[in-house]
Amino acid sequence: MSEAKTILIVDDDPDFVSSIKEIVESAGYRALTAYDGKEGFTVASAQHPDLILLDVMMSERTEGFKVLQQIRETKAIESTPVILISSIYTDLPAFKVMPEAGQQAADLFLPKPVDPANLLKEVARLLTEGRKRPTRRP
Amino acid sequence: MTAPVEKRVLVIDDDEVMLQSCQQVLERAGYRVQACDSGRAGLARIPDFHPALLVVDLKMPELDGLQVIDLARRADPELVVVVITGYATIETAVDAMKAGAYDFLPKPFTPAELRLIIGRSFERWLLAAESARLRQEKAELERKFAAVVSHQLKSPLAAIKQNLDVVLLAPDALPGSALSAAERARARLAEMLRIVEDWLTLARITKDTLSEGDATCDLVEVARAVGEEHRASAEAAGLRLELRLPGAPLPVRGDATSHAVLVDNLLSNGIKYNRPGGSLALALSAAAAEAVLEVSDTGIGIAEAHLPHLFQELYRVKSEATRGIAGTGLGLAICKKIVSELGGSIAVASGEGSGTTFTVRVPLCATDKAREGQEAS
Repeated sequence: MSEAKTILIVDDDPDFVSSIKEIVESAGYRALTAYDGKEGFTVASAQHPDLILLDVMMSERTEGFKVLQQIRETKAIESTPVILISSIYTDLPAFKVMPEAGQQAADLFLPKPVDPANLLKEVARLLTEGRKRPTRRP
Repeated sequence: MTAPVEKRVLVIDDDEVMLQSCQQVLERAGYRVQACDSGRAGLARIPDFHPALLVVDLKMPELDGLQVIDLARRADPELVVVVITGYATIETAVDAMKAGAYDFLPKPFTPAELRLIIGRSFERWLLAAESARLRQEKAELERKFAAVVSHQLKSPLAAIKQNLDVVLLAPDALPGSALSAAERARARLAEMLRIVEDWLTLARITKDTLSEGDATCDLVEVARAVGEEHRASAEAAGLRLELRLPGAPLPVRGDATSHAVLVDNLLSNGIKYNRPGGSLALALSAAAAEAVLEVSDTGIGIAEAHLPHLFQELYRVKSEATRGIAGTGLGLAICKKIVSELGGSIAVASGEGSGTTFTVRVPLCATDKAREGQEAS
């Protein structure tokens, strides 16, 4: 039996973290939590989660983007799938990836609040497919 | 309290005596005066002296007063101008006003007259400065409000919704009454989040955001993407969704997100206010220099009395047929705002019980490719 996949949840809202933790645990994943960008990066570097759920606006407005760049620049975790989660963008499905994050940086953008079924579906998809490397734009 | 404003006046007159007496009178009245004996010398002082007021003689050699006014107001559009004229005819006064002067002083004038006119003009400058400051403050407040709403209001709502989701993860564990209460609470929350989202969209759409970086997008691609996103919900509502899109791109000004919001709102309405077995069509075409987007449904329609108000914020058609349909009353206001900012138009044709058609026209922007194509044909 393979070990349960690990998902790191990074968000400065403890209520959000605890509810997302419940949701991913209900699907059999192991959850790690962090409450700001710095802690998130530290946990990610030390524990190498299989996937990261990352809030954008924490104590800084674009903290999530910075953490994302740090992750992509760190060899051991550069290809970990990352789902950005934020309340500051349109929920139109065709525009999920925030342009500021760069298409090549985040694997998916989900608006807050996330729909549990959709979140679990996307998590499962990214865990199976792994991180695709979209072609860099000139 | 803010620091008292320095009352700076630039006086330009080639008549030395007049210049000095104006300077004396005004300095005694508390103004800081810069006196210059020619238009050229006076204009050169504007950038560093930053006068609120310009007092200028109309009749001077070299640059005359009207030329000075024109150049000075180009350098500082906020400058309030008073002209001194030795031959106070109606024509010269009119000319000066046309050139942007606020008031005029016919020669000869007494110190009291000078103080009165300058005092009044300075009040005018203060008011203009104050209203500019307030406009800026208002824009800043609106921007901040949108940011605060987005995060401070949406975050707790999102957390509440997410926790209700957890409660509802195991519906079987809940007694029936608790289950239905939690489900109702979750539905109301979703509704509230939708309202916040719509208000934010409305606040976000301005000329600036739409033309940011001279954004353009292909309306065909946007319409196809958004149309496909609605296929499932249309089918769930028992509707046939038809997309009639041209093969070639239709480049339009504005970012893809705003256009997507527009198409999304129109299609959502076409689904919400429809009837099972009905249909919904999204058609896109080019006519002259415009992209024409038509969303037509076979739904419940809109009575004529409502049509003039349809694009107003918070206006909702209340009838037996619409009672059970959730909405914020902002969707069409958002559409109208997006279209207006893009220099286009939106129109509606409908009748009670006979379906509705929305027609959006937005200017096409010619791409190099499109231009080549036109030249070739």
